Amino acid sequence: MAGGYRQQPGASSGGTRKDGKRVAGKQKFPPPGSGGSHPNMGPRDLDSIPESVGGKEPQPAGSHIHDRYRTGTEVGKPRALVDSYAKVTGQAWYGDDVRLQNEIIGKILRSPYHYAKIKSIDTSKVEALPGVLAVATGADAPNTFGVLPVTKDEHAMAVEKVRHVGDLVACVAAVDEATAMEALNLFEIEWEVLDPVFDPRKGLEDQDEPIHWRGKYHVGTTNVQKRVFQEFGDRSLVVDPTASSHGKWRMEGVHHGFTEPHAVVAHWDPNGRLQLYTPQQVPHYAHRALSTVLEVPMHQINVIRTFVGGGFGGKSDPFPHEMCAAILSRKAGRPVRITFSREEVYWINRGRHPSYIEVKMTADDEARISGFDIDALIDGGGFASFGHVTSYYNGVLATAPYELGSFHYTGARVWTNKPASGAMRGHGAVNTRCAVEVGLDEMAEQMQVDPIDLRLANLLPPHSRTISGFRITSNGMRQALERVREGSDWDKKFRQLPLGKGIGIGCGFFISGSGLPIHWDPNRFPHATVHIQIDMDGGVTVHTGAADIGQGSTTAVAQVVSEVLALPIEMIHVRSHESDTSPVDLGSYSSRVTFMNANAAIRAALDIREKLLNAAWEMLGYHPDVLVLNDRRIYYKHDPAVGVSYLEALHKAQEDKGSLISSGAYRSPPMGGVHKGAAAGLAPAYSFSAYIAEVDVDVETGLVSCTNVWAAHDCGKALNPLAVEGQIIGSCHMGLGQVLSEKMVYGRTGHLQNPNLLEYKIPSVHEMPHVTPIIIESSDPEGPFGAKEAGEGPLLPILPAVVNAVYDAIGVRIRTLPLSMDVVWKAISSKTRSLGGIEATELPSPRLEHSLLQQTLAERGAQHRERDRRRQRSEDTSAYVNGVLFGFDPDRPLEDQVEGWKSAVEPVPEQLAELGLAGKAWLKKEQRQMGGDK
Amino acid sequence: MLMPPFHLHHPSTIEEACELAAGFLETKESFDWVAGGTDLLPNYKWHINVKQHVISLARVQGIDTISMHEIGAMARLGSIASSRDVHPLIAQAAGKVASSLIRNNATLGGNICLDTRCFWFNQSEDWRRSIDWCHKEDCGTGSDCRVIPNQNTLCVATYQGDVAPSLMVLEGLLHIIGPKGERQIPVDEFFQLDGITRNVLEEGEFILKVTFPEGVENRVGSYKKLRVRESWDFPEAGVAASWIEGDLSSLRIASTALESIPRLHQQEIDKLDGGFSTDKILQLSYAMMKSIKPVNNTALPPRYRKSMVKVLAKRCLQEILGDGE
Repeated sequence: MAGGYRQQPGASSGGTRKDGKRVAGKQKFPPPGSGGSHPNMGPRDLDSIPESVGGKEPQPAGSHIHDRYRTGTEVGKPRALVDSYAKVTGQAWYGDDVRLQNEIIGKILRSPYHYAKIKSIDTSKVEALPGVLAVATGADAPNTFGVLPVTKDEHAMAVEKVRHVGDLVACVAAVDEATAMEALNLFEIEWEVLDPVFDPRKGLEDQDEPIHWRGKYHVGTTNVQKRVFQEFGDRSLVVDPTASSHGKWRMEGVHHGFTEPHAVVAHWDPNGRLQLYTPQQVPHYAHRALSTVLEVPMHQINVIRTFVGGGFGGKSDPFPHEMCAAILSRKAGRPVRITFSREEVYWINRGRHPSYIEVKMTADDEARISGFDIDALIDGGGFASFGHVTSYYNGVLATAPYELGSFHYTGARVWTNKPASGAMRGHGAVNTRCAVEVGLDEMAEQMQVDPIDLRLANLLPPHSRTISGFRITSNGMRQALERVREGSDWDKKFRQLPLGKGIGIGCGFFISGSGLPIHWDPNRFPHATVHIQIDMDGGVTVHTGAADIGQGSTTAVAQVVSEVLALPIEMIHVRSHESDTSPVDLGSYSSRVTFMNANAAIRAALDIREKLLNAAWEMLGYHPDVLVLNDRRIYYKHDPAVGVSYLEALHKAQEDKGSLISSGAYRSPPMGGVHKGAAAGLAPAYSFSAYIAEVDVDVETGLVSCTNVWAAHDCGKALNPLAVEGQIIGSCHMGLGQVLSEKMVYGRTGHLQNPNLLEYKIPSVHEMPHVTPIIIESSDPEGPFGAKEAGEGPLLPILPAVVNAVYDAIGVRIRTLPLSMDVVWKAISSKTRSLGGIEATELPSPRLEHSLLQQTLAERGAQHRERDRRRQRSEDTSAYVNGVLFGFDPDRPLEDQVEGWKSAVEPVPEQLAELGLAGKAWLKKEQRQMGGDK
Repeated sequence: MLMPPFHLHHPSTIEEACELAAGFLETKESFDWVAGGTDLLPNYKWHINVKQHVISLARVQGIDTISMHEIGAMARLGSIASSRDVHPLIAQAAGKVASSLIRNNATLGGNICLDTRCFWFNQSEDWRRSIDWCHKEDCGTGSDCRVIPNQNTLCVATYQGDVAPSLMVLEGLLHIIGPKGERQIPVDEFFQLDGITRNVLEEGEFILKVTFPEGVENRVGSYKKLRVRESWDFPEAGVAASWIEGDLSSLRIASTALESIPRLHQQEIDKLDGGFSTDKILQLSYAMMKSIKPVNNTALPPRYRKSMVKVLAKRCLQEILGDGE
């Protein structure tokens, strides 16, 4: 394939600096499948899988770079997760299952105040209590840490002040839990209580005592932690729209609700090395933070990831209690275990941000989406956590799958005196996605067209570039929409159901692995590394740092190794728990693990494969090109009788080097634009999904029950269809919780009123609809065997699908989440009042009569369908950038074609007056601009 | 979370239980009764009102009868829910309590005596310390009520038992025993304000059984429960009604989970002009709604819960009365 897809129109030259370094954003898009500098794989123009291992497999999305290495052993077969046996027999060891000899119990003293200065802590009575072996306070660990290097604002325990009820003040370790609890009452602390802030809107104003201080970068004296402004495209297109939607949303914070509470065991071994057992999604960042806080080099710390009883983003920060356990253990000289109660889990939080989101959308006379204006004010709670990224994701992850005329985003994340928000499944994308998809539904209604046809006629094709510069490779969006439409019998139901019954559509778009690692320049380290070792017994030991949090990453790695080496999966043993033995992996976040880690595993396996084939070549005399691996045997392609067993080849290969050892790595290719924030949302591939939900609404009580969901998700290639379906169904459950019942309730006094699983309403099995998972395989050119993520993206569409279905059922648009029964009832009540006090049972159901535009859309959709098919199969490799739908030439810079084509990351002064809620954060200057730098 | 220590006692007869209670009353040692433990022990784990002694009724023989006219206090809700001998309304109400796991342990007596609930109260010790305690569990601080500030005379915690209103509308009679002997009281007179007092049980007394009058089998009833999830959740509002088919004057209707005690709404029926008739379903439902004043201390807002009384009552009445006589 010639050239590859272009990253920026007209930027074919000037991509290299004088010193030979590449300039980000000035590159050609590398051919997909070329991640890293030395891809250890052949070209992609292979015709098919050899007939000897399964015949000519149909390849609807074209051939794949890994096709040659398919052996038909594991990939694509439904397989119970390899660690499921340990789990179902109760032998999996979670954080609190770790029992070391001589262990003592640690407990944490937590702040009873929302916001207060600690004037003094007297620990003498605690220390005097018999049975207490160690006490620690903030003074023992003054170094800050945080998951993002740019926002390290956490301490192991409060230094100077506490920032929310439940914030860590001190900790104690004692011979048993009862003694430790008793000791907590003996701390004598002098407080100076400060005025707390709970409402993020208040956080935008100047304060006497901001919750954190960022020095010269601090925005005024406000509590703004991060503000974002982005503007792209031709803003003149939004003038005089044919349809428009303007919605103001209020979304409550939600928590991951994982089963296993946080637990940690720390132990300094006889050599003085720290052994830390913790259920972490991201052991590597915890490793780094521990090193900083404890002032011990990383090589003197061994982070042991236990089994993780659910994470969903809630176990991806380095946590203060991990530091506490290590500090206590160092002081006491004995292993220390700390296990959280459920309240403590809610206090450490890191759940989805409570958000105020405003979305303005416009469509032109051809029903093209001429503008997205998004304003997102998100409530970060007491600490930054992943918030820097969340602030971007709320906007930039809405720039696809639709082709936009223009895009405008203002976002702000504000500190408040509440438990810290952070990353949660669908990080940052979920709330705006819901708002945007509901806006599309509203515009479709105004234009009297079918919302599915509106979407089908506005999709970006495969191998294209979004308005903000993301590289889209494979794209199964169209197929997903078509499949759910067919499966749900949409055309016979939409706007035709009786009052109280409704059907709605929603789409999703999510990253498959963050393109830039948080902690290093991509030119320095790979994102994922996998080591493989085979000794004479033939068993394959795979070392990976990928954290299996139940999503099945261990299984995925085992499967791809098994596939490449044509060995049964029982022969593959994955070791992934200890940082001492596993190569660095960045961890389980941003849906990166299967994509990056399995790619690394394939490369390591290919290395082994080559060694085996070379050995077989020596023994058989046939060149590896004509040798086939299949079920523990290597044989001549045209005469399977001529061959050697796997063990024979292995022993030959081991003759003079012993164990076969290989290392494989993956890093994403350079991508993206050059503007500030261009890296946020960049990914080597993106997943797409479309859901249709059916609901029943009790119009008298407002109770919404979701009855059916048709859920199509494009995961590239289902390495393990069973696991993908599990992720889709699980995502539906989690998303339904957010849209129907879950919320973190902060009461009149700012206290979290429901920090327990009885009052935090996670849907039960009774609330679960029938979900029909539909797997779309678009064969991503860069993914392992074509795979993309399936862990987070599937959550996104369920929210708007349900909200749109509720509208279809009762004709009332509700923009407050969750749609709990009281919220829906209130909306129905005000609607019935506005209609002259009719009974709820007399509400008119919305109906649809197609306008002339419907025909235009159907025709355009049909043309695009053919366009997408050709691009997906690489029959058409011409450049495509967002804007072609509006008549622009993809081969010339857009700035040259349109006067006023925007590409701005800061507002101009004239804009300041019109900015939305979060945009108000731009009204203040940074300290350095004001001459202050305290 | 570690439960605080207490002494557990296991009497095997009613007399033995009464003696134990009398002994503690005399020595002024605090104690609680425990039946299934599904209400008491979670509160203990949160360090709420922990007593020195706990007397378990689990081994007391003969107080778990399940029949149409008598149900023992120790009858498990799970057994009641699946029994064909009890009145279908009781089975229906018992089947809606919490989840099947909890029903297997929870008892009828425990459900009747359920402690009142409030989201300022049912919290861990650390949490309650952060609000400086509350009137219902003030830890000796004389704290104010957190639901309605500036009043520390009345506790407005909500009674969220499911079964009580059904017992009321079936004219249940409670048999109570204690060191001073046995006594009987109609279920609708058993509950007593406020959220701390809860009921007429005196120290040392416990419920033995509920009995129903002859003819209860002719009553047709229904219980409607408002909750967020079809499992686990306590009622946010509940209405039960029953009548003897064909006899409108026999109609009884009661509500629960709205105030500190469940209530029989005889007054609202009596106030209807010319007594109740089937065309007055909406009128009665509305009157019930008007008579109730929930407060903001459960999962759903009080205004909503109040409005739902009307809907639940209407649905209850329509179900049992059918299209008319």
